[in-house]
Amino acid sequence: MIAGLGTGFLSNILILFFIYSLVLLPSAALISYCDRKLSARLQARVGPHRTGFLGMLQPFADLLKLLQKRSAWDWSWEDSVWGSFQAMAVYASLAALPLGSALLMDTEMSSFLPFFSALVLALGSLLLGLNQATIAGWLGGIRVVGQVFSGVFPAFIAFLCVGIHTGGFRWKLLASAQGFYPWSWTCLTSPFQLIAFLVFIISGLIILGLPPLEGSQFPSEIDGGVVSHLSGRRWLLFQLSKFYGFLSWSMVTVVLFLGAWSLPDALVQVLEAMEAKILVSLMEFFWLMSKTFVVMLAVIWIASANPRSRVDQMTDFAWRVLSPFALVALMGAALWESWVVF
Amino acid sequence: MIEGLEWIDWKLGPYHACLPAPMVLRLKLNVDTIVQCEVETGFLYKGIEKIMETRSWQAAMVYADHLDPEAAIFGELVFCMAVEEIMGLCIPPRAQFVRMILAELSRIVSHLAFLVRIAKTVHSEVILHYLLRDREKILDLFELLTGARFSLNFLRFGGVCTDMTEGFLERVLEICDNVHIRMREYNDLFIFNDRFLNRTLCLGVLKPEWVLGCGVTGPNARASGFSWDVRKQNALMGYEMLDFAIPVGTGIRGFLGDVHDRVVVRLEEMAQSAEILKQLIETVPSGEYLQEGYAHLKSVPAGEAYVRIESARGVLGCHLVSDGSSSPLRVHFRPPSVGHLMVFPALCEGLSSEDLPLVLASLDIGIAEVDR
Repeated sequence: MIAGLGTGFLSNILILFFIYSLVLLPSAALISYCDRKLSARLQARVGPHRTGFLGMLQPFADLLKLLQKRSAWDWSWEDSVWGSFQAMAVYASLAALPLGSALLMDTEMSSFLPFFSALVLALGSLLLGLNQATIAGWLGGIRVVGQVFSGVFPAFIAFLCVGIHTGGFRWKLLASAQGFYPWSWTCLTSPFQLIAFLVFIISGLIILGLPPLEGSQFPSEIDGGVVSHLSGRRWLLFQLSKFYGFLSWSMVTVVLFLGAWSLPDALVQVLEAMEAKILVSLMEFFWLMSKTFVVMLAVIWIASANPRSRVDQMTDFAWRVLSPFALVALMGAALWESWVVF
Repeated sequence: MIEGLEWIDWKLGPYHACLPAPMVLRLKLNVDTIVQCEVETGFLYKGIEKIMETRSWQAAMVYADHLDPEAAIFGELVFCMAVEEIMGLCIPPRAQFVRMILAELSRIVSHLAFLVRIAKTVHSEVILHYLLRDREKILDLFELLTGARFSLNFLRFGGVCTDMTEGFLERVLEICDNVHIRMREYNDLFIFNDRFLNRTLCLGVLKPEWVLGCGVTGPNARASGFSWDVRKQNALMGYEMLDFAIPVGTGIRGFLGDVHDRVVVRLEEMAQSAEILKQLIETVPSGEYLQEGYAHLKSVPAGEAYVRIESARGVLGCHLVSDGSSSPLRVHFRPPSVGHLMVFPALCEGLSSEDLPLVLASLDIGIAEVDR
């Protein structure tokens, strides 16, 4: 439900159209460009610098190149099944994102959606691996499943910690428990929430198979095996689904732990006095996106400087380190809320 | 093995992203664990030894360059030394120093290439680019001195092709200082990086009995505790005048002879090579760079020689027979990578297939010298 804009259905549609077409969908190009520039600087290279001003059009050049690449084989029904799962994962990642206090699909279950999209994405990767009918694909598919299951448990427990703090799982409830300033963010309300925050974001990387924890989805046959044969449009679809999964998970992390879209109260009061609700919505959205991009770039930065782990090391880490920490955070958060807060 | 499941046969190669060079690996897997590994080589066979027997003595040198393209000087050097031993030829001290400088620079280049392959297998792109950047600087130096970056063709029987270019020694000194500075970075990125340790500790342990049984030499043997280096044990080129240490694996973090030890030993060897280079630069003698009268050698007296040197990968031997004619009668190399390749199947057993590229890269197998 999109509520509170007050200027009618058409204006809501226009705002969403503007946000999705000009910000959310092109964000893949922006982050890809930042990723390549940042990685290049870290690696004593220049990075993209020829296509457009400072190489800014490079992602679009890549997009066109991938779209026009001819595939070595035709789409089979197995490809279609996989493709529909990937498309479903992209849709689930993007369709119901919490974009601000007025731009929400807010139900009791909305905040569980990232888990759904991540699991669909994993199922798509599993099918992709099995479709290959090769040893590498088969091993890769099994690795994806092992990796995702190991990451989902601690992520879910960490997610429950936030629910204990806020008293529910509606987006508005999760956001309204936090303020503009960092000390009012959920992750800093107690040491247990800080642990939950770290567990949640690391588990997200494991579930989605993102660097530096991509392991099973690495584009090398012997490490990953799932995506080593992809090229052209198939590769594009896979990469986009992973990117939007990353965007979605980072945004949800910001909403759960890092102050969501909360602006300074004084500013909101002034804007509301001016009845500029659309402006409030847009400012909330851009503030949320800024924090999301910072989280994503921080992850990319850490990923660039570290070697990759093996899948079994990752699953070990998730079960033996993240899960116990998540359980401690859950118990600690429950005790904290019952004894300290009340 | 899981009951009811048969072994999985997996053929990798001859060209595969996880392989450092053309070869075929026939794996038997128990799910993800390697039960058996067979190696098939010969995809880079060039017939170097046979071709050398059909060429003139000086022309044969060019083929010795291609024994190990990553550190070409060692092939040239061992062939040159074998010829000089048959002829009983002493080379001028200045030429000896130039040869040692080139050998140590090549050792650093080869070890950097080794580290690049390790970084690639653990997918650490930052380290990879740093290493390649430093390697380029040394290749520039080769170009400055010899005009070539890889196949140098710079040595001659009785010395070297030309004298050192102006400014060469100063730039070698810069490289030495650079190696010491970079060593801290490499330590941070490799030795002190927890993620890297997780991948390399206790992995691919090369047991001492395998070292002896398969004839493993060089840094791989030293990483397994054998303090044996031709430069010290059988000094032929003037290394006896220099003060340097032989790094040996300790297994202090994992097991003696694991992948981590092999990386650490090579890192330490690079530092030692930089020290050797500094000492050489301080004492470079003046004088001739080529023994007079040997610039255009037509024939070598009848005789036989076996010479060995410490190349970057291990002990490189050359057995040379001359019948007094204008070309060699028999040339046979004993490359170190053969031993490393022989021990590889034993190291693979029980490994996860994900670790296979890392263990393979850690042995630093130069397939060009195996197939030759």
